[in-house]
Amino acid sequence: MIDAPSSTWFTASPHWYWLIVVYFVLGALAGGTYFLSAMIDLTGRSSDRRLARLGYYITLPLLLVIGVVLIVDLSRPDRFWHLFIENHTLRPMFKYWVPMSTGSWAVPLFGFFATLSFVATIAEHHRPHWRFARRLRPPALLGTLVAVLGAILALHVTGYTGVMLSVLNRPVWSDTPLFGMLFIVSAVTMSAALLALGARWLRWQSPAVAALNRIWMWLLVVQILVLVALFISLGPAVRGWLNVWGIVLAIGITIGIVLPLIAFRRRRPQGKGGLSVAAALVLAGGFLVRTAIVFVPVVNAP
Amino acid sequence: MAEAMGFFTDPTVCIGCKACEVACKQWNQLPALDDARKTLSGDSYDNTRKLDGTHWRHVKFIEQIDEDRRDGRWTMLSDVCKHCVQAGCLEVCPTNAIIRTEFDTVVIQSDTCNGCKACIAACPFGVIDINPVSNTAQKCTLCYDRLQAGMEPACSQACPTDSIVFGPVRELKERAARRVDQLHAAGEKRAVLYGADEKMLGGLNAFFLLVDRPEVYGLPPDPKMPSRHLVPGTLFTMLGALIVGLVSIFNFRDRRADEAGRD
Amino acid sequence: MYPRAMEDSDCVLVMGSNMAENHPVAFRWPMKAKVEHGAKLIHVDPRFTRTSAMADIYAPLRAGSDIAFLGGLVNFVLNSERWNQDPFFRTFVSTYTNASTIISSEFRDTEDLDGVFSGLMAYTGDAEEWPFNGFIGEYKSSSWKYAGSDTHSRGRIADTQRSGEQANDGPGDERTKRALKNAASGPPYDRMVQALVGAPELRDETLANPRSVLQIVRRHFSRYTPEMVEQVTGCPRDLFLRVAQTILDNSGAERTTSIAYAVAWTQHTYGVQIIGCAALLQLLLGNVGRPGAGIVALRGHASIQGSTDIPTLYHSIHGYMAHPSALKPHASLAEWLVEETQPTGYWANTPKFMVSYLKSMYGAAATRDNNFGYDWHPKIIGDHSHMPMFVAMNEGRVKGMFCIGQNPATSLNAKLERSGLRKLEWLVVKDNWLHETSMFWKTAPEVRSGEVATADIATEVFFFPSSQVAEYDGSFTNTQRMLQWHYKAANAPGDCRSDMYFTYELGKRLKKLYANSTLARDEGFKHMVWDYESDDARDRQMGEPGSEKILKEINGFYSDNPGRHLAGAEDLSDDGSTSCASWIYCGVFPSPGENRSANRVADKPGVRGAQLGWGFAWPSNRRILYNRVSADPQGRPWSERKKYIWWDEAQRKWVGLDVPDFPETKPPTQQPVPGATGMDAHSGTDAFILKADGVGWLYVPEGLVDGPLPTHYEPAESPVRNPLYRQQSSPVLKYWNVAGNPLADVADPKYPHVITTYRLTEHYLSGAMSRWNPWLAELQPELFVELSPELAREKGIANLDRVRITSPRASVHAKALVTRRMQPLKIAGQMVHQVGMPFHWGWEGLTTGDVVNEMSALIGDPNVSMHEGKAFVCNVQKA
Repeated sequence: MIDAPSSTWFTASPHWYWLIVVYFVLGALAGGTYFLSAMIDLTGRSSDRRLARLGYYITLPLLLVIGVVLIVDLSRPDRFWHLFIENHTLRPMFKYWVPMSTGSWAVPLFGFFATLSFVATIAEHHRPHWRFARRLRPPALLGTLVAVLGAILALHVTGYTGVMLSVLNRPVWSDTPLFGMLFIVSAVTMSAALLALGARWLRWQSPAVAALNRIWMWLLVVQILVLVALFISLGPAVRGWLNVWGIVLAIGITIGIVLPLIAFRRRRPQGKGGLSVAAALVLAGGFLVRTAIVFVPVVNAP
Repeated sequence: MAEAMGFFTDPTVCIGCKACEVACKQWNQLPALDDARKTLSGDSYDNTRKLDGTHWRHVKFIEQIDEDRRDGRWTMLSDVCKHCVQAGCLEVCPTNAIIRTEFDTVVIQSDTCNGCKACIAACPFGVIDINPVSNTAQKCTLCYDRLQAGMEPACSQACPTDSIVFGPVRELKERAARRVDQLHAAGEKRAVLYGADEKMLGGLNAFFLLVDRPEVYGLPPDPKMPSRHLVPGTLFTMLGALIVGLVSIFNFRDRRADEAGRD
Repeated sequence: MYPRAMEDSDCVLVMGSNMAENHPVAFRWPMKAKVEHGAKLIHVDPRFTRTSAMADIYAPLRAGSDIAFLGGLVNFVLNSERWNQDPFFRTFVSTYTNASTIISSEFRDTEDLDGVFSGLMAYTGDAEEWPFNGFIGEYKSSSWKYAGSDTHSRGRIADTQRSGEQANDGPGDERTKRALKNAASGPPYDRMVQALVGAPELRDETLANPRSVLQIVRRHFSRYTPEMVEQVTGCPRDLFLRVAQTILDNSGAERTTSIAYAVAWTQHTYGVQIIGCAALLQLLLGNVGRPGAGIVALRGHASIQGSTDIPTLYHSIHGYMAHPSALKPHASLAEWLVEETQPTGYWANTPKFMVSYLKSMYGAAATRDNNFGYDWHPKIIGDHSHMPMFVAMNEGRVKGMFCIGQNPATSLNAKLERSGLRKLEWLVVKDNWLHETSMFWKTAPEVRSGEVATADIATEVFFFPSSQVAEYDGSFTNTQRMLQWHYKAANAPGDCRSDMYFTYELGKRLKKLYANSTLARDEGFKHMVWDYESDDARDRQMGEPGSEKILKEINGFYSDNPGRHLAGAEDLSDDGSTSCASWIYCGVFPSPGENRSANRVADKPGVRGAQLGWGFAWPSNRRILYNRVSADPQGRPWSERKKYIWWDEAQRKWVGLDVPDFPETKPPTQQPVPGATGMDAHSGTDAFILKADGVGWLYVPEGLVDGPLPTHYEPAESPVRNPLYRQQSSPVLKYWNVAGNPLADVADPKYPHVITTYRLTEHYLSGAMSRWNPWLAELQPELFVELSPELAREKGIANLDRVRITSPRASVHAKALVTRRMQPLKIAGQMVHQVGMPFHWGWEGLTTGDVVNEMSALIGDPNVSMHEGKAFVCNVQKA
């Protein structure tokens, strides 16, 4: 392309398509739900523990799906273990400067903590005699440690994917350093919306549910700022959006950010149902935005 | 480490015979296209279209002919992995499948690669892709197996006009500089080397002579390392983490307003 | 000249060839010349091709107008100040060419007769048994001869009367009778040769005589002005003049220009004349026999040179001797010798060549008493080349066919060729894959369309899988006339066998079949020497013959001591004491264990040489023919820069970088011996040792059937009238006026465009060797037609659209490749569009497409029966 806006236009597609969209969305929700649950556990009241429990229950199944998706997306799934052990030397394989490498470790490690929290939640809820397991959840000291480390890993999982896109060489993805920030913010936004929806579905009322609605609202505002910064940082590469995926992105932003914010502003005290619709829109929009981001480089070929 | 070896590719003497493509495929036993792409591309005489997992050499055909035919040029350029001194693919590979050899070339070990495809997106030149037979990422190895046996790579050996020259990078750079001088003297003032100096990714061990802007040849004018966004990207992400953390803590903690607003 | 020698050229004109595309490896050398010492590269072609891409000057021209362009160059040179003043040119031309020779007063030029030469008449020469020679007219060429001389009225003549395609009254004059009498008594034949010597030709060293060759040439080309060149070829005048000036600037004592051509010069109804015109130009410029000078005949096959040396041609036997013909005075060996021997020059040795050839054929059975078996040798009865053969096949005159390394089902006017195949009783195909010819009975277009039913085809088809070149020992002879031995690298798989095996086995079985025959015609088979049993146990088991045994027979040996090989053609004798299949190859295998074609010693890099240690170039390992002219008449190099062969007075012999193509110790001052035969008839400056008069021919008094000088004719099918003469196209071309082979009228509006067909780097000929190779198939996966954006716009065709191309013979479909590399040309005031199509496709293989040759015609050159595939007419429509 003789008038390519950026040198990234001359690169090749890694063929990351729908599986990656699925991963990006589920990863965001898994990480986000765990993070919010841990925050509730760490800073909230005991009456909100059931909300955190909901989060932990969501996280682990999603992580299991993610594990499968990530392995299946490898061209050689039989060699997924090469991400952890160098096959020639059988030494641990870790490159701290490579998001995919850190992510590869972070996902199972996060899975470990998510499992602990999951078990602890089951113990607390259904198996009171699993006494040790109950200590894996705050406020027990061990549980606090689990929640803190798990929350950090959860955020890592939601954020590294964005950093990974920036730290390649594809059009748009790698023309800004801000995808990691966008991803981490939007992951928590979507997860807050998801948990709020879950609470609504379970007809739970608690201060934390309202807090979740406020969280996604505030984070939507942050997202707008991040998106503006991202578009500015793209510079000439912003032209990469002048295609169908730009339209998908615009729809995603409209229904995932603009409409929910409007709905939030106009909410009536009685109109809890309106907030649920808004939360659902946040999720749908988040999905569209991630889809647009995954696919946008494909159409920008030299 | 032995001396750095590489290619100097000079499109001003390339006749587009594609012998390099075929010699490469023959030596490396790469399969031919057998899908919807096995059609006439309509883009000059280029029907293999791009470098990928089964095309480790690719000859580009660029027709630049005026409407009145007074001035015309048909340039062929045999593209290949650049074997960058600072290699983006090697940098991002999460399995250490991509290594730097004793010849300062960059090679993907196909018994290690698990097809994560990060290198495909990381290569500033779009050189790498999945080979559908091995299902691993593949690209030019600069005939690592031949080099180890003291032989010349298949493509340069097959090149009838020495458009592809193989040798120690140091010598190639001298040769290339002489060729540029010669072209300048002959009136081709636009002749420049692409990737011969260290400014471009520390230097490309497979570098090119160009007589037009790099974009004309499908080459990025300013290829960059993927890691350029690593530190800022990480910091911004941490900032994001801080924000979501603060927003969460603030909202979960401050519940009086919430309770007050409850009726 | 050969490709590597182009390294020394200062200017290279590629015309009639897409050298970079089709001879990429040979193209290394002009590129080296260009890069290493700034040689100018010029490409003149209807299309802007891969070669044009490398050229300093690209000049477009209309397909088929090459003689107009070259004639323009000749005219430019003759009228240039430099050519008329630089003593080099004057000396070269007056010493080394026939410029000063006086031509018969009966001669009339095209200038006098508006496009035809004297002697034109109707053709009546077909033999009853073989009425397929195809001539539409013929010249009686006696008026073209040198004045006052009939030295050359025999020997290597190829006018229609003596080409074996026209009954001939036989020798009648006194000298012939005397020679016949001398020949009848058998060897030695020296007295016969002596009897053939006639009076020497007349010369005017001032070159002023109006009947001198130079003056005739000047007049003949005077109308080929730059303006006329532009009118006829469409090449803009300024561009033509740049080409002309560049060539002239790079010719002379210090600089040399070479010309490279390929089949885009041969595939015309006047192909030989195009090449002749290039030779004329090069002789005028002194660009012959010198480093970086000459004409490179680029060959289409790896060993096509070898296949004319050891011929697969119908009209010659080994070493370019005429094939015995029933239509010529060839009834006996004596008659053949009298007819074919040229008494002066190196060809005076013809009796030695012929007798040694017959000894190689029939061995001990060939004796002085039975004329060395001459009577057993088959004779031809006309033109048995490709096109007449298929015309005859269509008439049911051919029973069977061995098809080895050919794919005629996709060849000229392909449908007509396939209908010929259907009339065969049997067809043997030996090839690598089941290509179109082996499958014509099942999958040909007319079978698939239902026009012909497989059940109605009686032809029995046999297929023999072929081994590949790396699976047996053998040799290639390249365009440098250089033999290079190659060794077997692997055993052939399964039942695959070499062509040698097939031929050897066939011969053995035929010998067995005829062993008890009492018919005279079978005597040849009975006596034929046919013993090439391999010394290798595995080869013997597989039936593969020993390649070196065949090479030995070609090289020759002493009849009484077969273990003693001949060291060179000088060892040959005419009394049966030597056996040698091909005199030109004599010396390639001078002693057992010394196969010179296997030599692989390269010159040291940076040292000027002729690579004499690499392979063996016939004759006598000479690399540049007629290299005596690289020295001036006194034997001194013309210049230090172009030093090659020179006379060393101290050693009293010719020395230099190459093997001198001249008697080694004959001094430059040597005068001819009056009345002598052979080399003694030549002076110390008569460098063209194969020519009777020892000089290069600007004007060709004999040997060509269509005129002594090149003349621009339009292709048989042309969108324009000939702007130069009233005569539209060659008056003596070969055309087979049979059903299915119609021609378009001149300027027929139904077929307004010129079409030219060609090859791509990625495929090989009919594709039989490339379309089955997946790596090549992906590089050019589909048939296309190249056309200019101007024509595409006119016809509403977009890039990659499906297009129908129609000639008077057939229509084919292809995808459009719209490119500015094609351009419309203004011819005599009229815009002419040209389209180009590669002809590699057929319906079998990994990549398939329509057969472009369905559109070509059975029409060809009168000298060599080469078809006109490079310029005919068509229409193009969106399909």
